[in-house]
Amino acid sequence: MFHSHVDVLPDIDWAFIRENADLLWAGFKNTMKVATVGIAGSLLIGVVLGALRAHRIPVFTQLGWAYVEVIRNTPILVQIFLLHYAILPELGYQGDLFLTSCVAITVWGGAFNTENFRAGFEAVPRRFREAGFALGFTRLQTFLNVTLPIGGRIALPSSINTYISVLKNTSLLLVIGYPELTTVAYNIQAITFRTFEMFFVLAVVYLAIVWTLSALIRLLEARLALPERV
Amino acid sequence: MPELPEWFRDVAEYMLRVGLPQTLKLAAFAVTASTVVGLVLGTLITIKFRPLQALIRAYIELWRGLPILVTVLFIYWSATANVGDVRLELSAFLSAAIGLSLWGSAQVAEATRGAVQSIPREQHEAAAALGFGWVGRHTFVIVPQAFRRLIPPMVGLLVNIIQNTTIAYVIGVSEFLETANRQFENLTLAGDGHPFAIFGFVLLVFFLISFPLTRLAAFLERRLVA
Repeated sequence: MFHSHVDVLPDIDWAFIRENADLLWAGFKNTMKVATVGIAGSLLIGVVLGALRAHRIPVFTQLGWAYVEVIRNTPILVQIFLLHYAILPELGYQGDLFLTSCVAITVWGGAFNTENFRAGFEAVPRRFREAGFALGFTRLQTFLNVTLPIGGRIALPSSINTYISVLKNTSLLLVIGYPELTTVAYNIQAITFRTFEMFFVLAVVYLAIVWTLSALIRLLEARLALPERV
Repeated sequence: MPELPEWFRDVAEYMLRVGLPQTLKLAAFAVTASTVVGLVLGTLITIKFRPLQALIRAYIELWRGLPILVTVLFIYWSATANVGDVRLELSAFLSAAIGLSLWGSAQVAEATRGAVQSIPREQHEAAAALGFGWVGRHTFVIVPQAFRRLIPPMVGLLVNIIQNTTIAYVIGVSEFLETANRQFENLTLAGDGHPFAIFGFVLLVFFLISFPLTRLAAFLERRLVA
């Protein structure tokens, strides 16, 4: 009974994976580069636009709304095509794959994160902000000292969910040929037909990161839960 | 309204006639399969039987955790296999449809689990008192009530699946984005590819389909809470 083994593992040609380790490692680094830029960028966009939307700052609120709705209601692949073939060439950045990748991934994540932070900031009770004003804080000081720490905490789990999607979206950069992990594995498979080995590598890497971040969300939800229901 | 140029009419007509039906067919397949499989798995996982729960949990975490593109590529790459003397071959369309359904059914299963567990105990007891067994209780009493709560996330899933059908472009399914790209490449060879007009049109069509559905999901969500 206890000697039964998982049937699929012995079929993997480990030597083949080792032979291609350098290529795959380079792809992994590119994936992480774009994902890091994408996460940092969407955090920045999310906090700023989320705050402008939550405080109903005129013009910015409407522009932010339009941005969020357009990005959320259209496929990211189409956004990548539009950036790669139309918008960036027009601006003089034709063929800069790293730039195209970072912009596409960040713009998408920023829209979803704007909604996360808007909801987080709006969940901060009005009386907390009034308490800030009563202490003599300006609106900006109240935001930085009261709304941001509390609302940011409320928004954290859903924003990590967005970062998970940001990471998974980097695989779509295959369509413009940016050499991230999925593109590298795709190219190796196309020449060698080693389907199983390549899928194994992709699955292990993506699942390791995604599952770690998911576990982090559960941990944070337990640890960062506000002591009092707000 | 300005007159549309001749080339654009032909391109748009081709995309709407050839590509869009494929996109909608793919979405319909994936939504149906995701709903059926997801409802069953999401209900079964509420049974307190550890091995079954672990198995369904693994299914959910695996297909939700992988990028859909990776799942679709793997299915498509393994789509031709020789099993004994029989040569199995899956079309690109079916590969994409199955890949999308694996992801979608994992999403539905997770949502169903929560919805089924939110149905109060009394409902189970009342149904049992009426003489229903486990299957009857769930088929006629619990899952129909849980489904009400599932409607808003299901509309959200529909939007997600419609947008994710574009992934099928990668393996060569002639869906909407693929037909657009083909026209773009043809026009590029002829001189000017008109990327703004063509991919802008793709964006617009997806937006016109998704936006009303997103609003509907938000409306249903509010009504359910109220």
